[in-house]
Amino acid sequence: MADRTIGTGRTTRRVALAGMGGAVAAPALLRSAWAAEAVNVGVAVPLSGANAQFGVNSRNGIELVADQVNAAGGIKALGGAKINLVIADSTSTPTSAANVAQRMITQNRVSAILGAFASSLTIAISEVTERRDVPLLTMSFADQVTGRGFKNVFQVVAKASAIGAAQFDGTLAIAKAAGQTLERVAIMYEDTAYGTAQAVGLRDGAKKAGVQLVMDDAYPLGITDVTPLINKLRASGAQAVFPVSYLSDSLQIIRVMRQQGITIPAIGGAAGYVIPDFEKGLGEFAEGVLSISPANYDLAPELTDAFRKRYGYFMVHEALEHAVCMDVLVQAIEKAGKADPASVRNALAGGRFEGGWTKAMTGGAVQFDAAGLNTLSVPVMVQWRQKELVTVWPDQFAKGKAVWKS
Amino acid sequence: MTRPTKLAAAALALLAALCLPLGLDHQGYAIRVATLVFLFGAMAQSWNVVGGLANQMSLGHAAFFGIGAYTSTLLLIHAGLSPWLGMLAGGVLGGLAAALISLPTMRLSGHYFALATLAFGEVMRVVANSWAGLTGGPVGLSVPFAPDSLALFNFKSTVPHYYIALAALCLVTAIFVWIRNSALGYRLRAVRENVDAAEVVGVDTARTKLVAAVISGVLMAMTGTLYAQLNFFFDPDTVFGAAPISIRVALIAIVGGVGTAIGPIVGALVIIPLEEAANLFLSSQVAGLSGFAYGLILIAVILVQPHGLAAIGRRFQRKSKGAS
Repeated sequence: MADRTIGTGRTTRRVALAGMGGAVAAPALLRSAWAAEAVNVGVAVPLSGANAQFGVNSRNGIELVADQVNAAGGIKALGGAKINLVIADSTSTPTSAANVAQRMITQNRVSAILGAFASSLTIAISEVTERRDVPLLTMSFADQVTGRGFKNVFQVVAKASAIGAAQFDGTLAIAKAAGQTLERVAIMYEDTAYGTAQAVGLRDGAKKAGVQLVMDDAYPLGITDVTPLINKLRASGAQAVFPVSYLSDSLQIIRVMRQQGITIPAIGGAAGYVIPDFEKGLGEFAEGVLSISPANYDLAPELTDAFRKRYGYFMVHEALEHAVCMDVLVQAIEKAGKADPASVRNALAGGRFEGGWTKAMTGGAVQFDAAGLNTLSVPVMVQWRQKELVTVWPDQFAKGKAVWKS
Repeated sequence: MTRPTKLAAAALALLAALCLPLGLDHQGYAIRVATLVFLFGAMAQSWNVVGGLANQMSLGHAAFFGIGAYTSTLLLIHAGLSPWLGMLAGGVLGGLAAALISLPTMRLSGHYFALATLAFGEVMRVVANSWAGLTGGPVGLSVPFAPDSLALFNFKSTVPHYYIALAALCLVTAIFVWIRNSALGYRLRAVRENVDAAEVVGVDTARTKLVAAVISGVLMAMTGTLYAQLNFFFDPDTVFGAAPISIRVALIAIVGGVGTAIGPIVGALVIIPLEEAANLFLSSQVAGLSGFAYGLILIAVILVQPHGLAAIGRRFQRKSKGAS
């Protein structure tokens, strides 16, 4: 017994050693496999854990654009250099995300990093990129991302506070257009970082608009029975409900609401409310559900249809925004004529980027201010209509009129 | 191994660790991983004081870790206090928290103790998420960006962090060895083997457990400050999290060898690079494959070496002694 154990112990160590040897050798192999002129771009998104689906969507959006650029002859200013994506799992912990960023910068010599969907991961990565002077392009929208005076972070969408305010303003405007003045609304949110932060924004919005909060309840993530919540909602007399949740809870809440015949409008806060699985999970109950979204694919079908054709589902907003990040980065490298991080950063700073994928953003272009925030982007309200998301607010972007059943 | 050879081996390992950064990119990935190895080694060694010597399987050490990270960072942001002093303040608060949690859980053992401490860590996470006025809530805290300064514990390069983490690991290990060889260490072992018997021979078991818990809590809280200054950003789910901190440090000590001084060091040397290697090679493949492979390897290690990797060395010793 003892001998056998020792024998296996040896193998384990040998395997571990071999693994570590591989770890040391791999970057060198990777580097030599690519032509010297290829531009390495880091893609750090969550490919495992709770946010994996959003990370995969983001990666797909970036891959689509990179492949388009490479197929069209690469980066012209660099003599047709190809883009080489260095994709890694940022996981769901900020420490790992920072490690991944560090690795991309030193081992892969990336020109820039794109990612990382979740704000906490993006902030952790930005602490690394700022100290190494490598540009980070992101669609995470926590106010902190561009609120720390960093010089190397570039955000293509509006800030969270602006998105939270728009969620409330848009709802009021849509209700008003349908002839209803909102007086009583309900909030229910999962007791996570994301849920509590969104709830704060909604509370502020309600206060500013003078709307009464008749229900303001947190529930545990992964709640097994939402019936008590829905009963409370029914008793509250709310005219609309803001359920804040990722996918699985949002499915339950909307399903139980509709099954109980509660037809008041439900307004989601992006995330789980604007992905194909929402409609797949709810079927007809999804019809008419509203949500805020930092961008929507129906604003530029000529661009986003390529995504649908390649991956088989509509271009969700995180894929779209990451595609814009990639396009802006390519434009910046073209502008700089060099691919080193410092030159790329200088080309991005305060720059205005037009054409290509930037046309899919609400501003029709991307203009970074001193903090690296895209000043042209405004969020939109979208509504589920026959398995598709239709932009319904603000009016200048609307592709259809919102359906509001009071 | 005899005592002199042990000391010589330790000195050699330390010398190698001191020289390692000379051959590495000073802001590189390898040195960051090495820094994390030492930091997590120090954390696991802090845990080892209660988890190893007293066999109290705490799964709530993130509570002290988070207290340390938040105390020093909040003092730095609001009072401009150097994180070095903040680290001491965090240590004091961590020790107080450890005493507080120790009082009701002292009489528990085994799974009950593990569950109670796990709950304590989770409570701290929820408090940090909800008490936004103090902690900044779920969006987390960023350590203010400052020029390089030893006094303010702010470095652009990873090298200073490397040496600080190495010093922390040496210090915590020295404290662990000192406790193990002191009267307190013997009392702790008496408690571990049989609480009733220890009482009978006159060991104040309650006080022994309390002292060990406080020392462990103080050390763990101080590593929290090191983490905050290394990473510059943290949120409640990261520093108070069960999986990223509490269970991870316990796992490092268990894989390495619970109750031994070398265990947490070996554990950290294996687990941290293993996690990174899994992410490096597998994360761009099938989603989740890296986590799966990492889990499989851990299960294999525990099955093959239930007493930890440090036991391999001891087994060889016994074998060679038997042969001679």
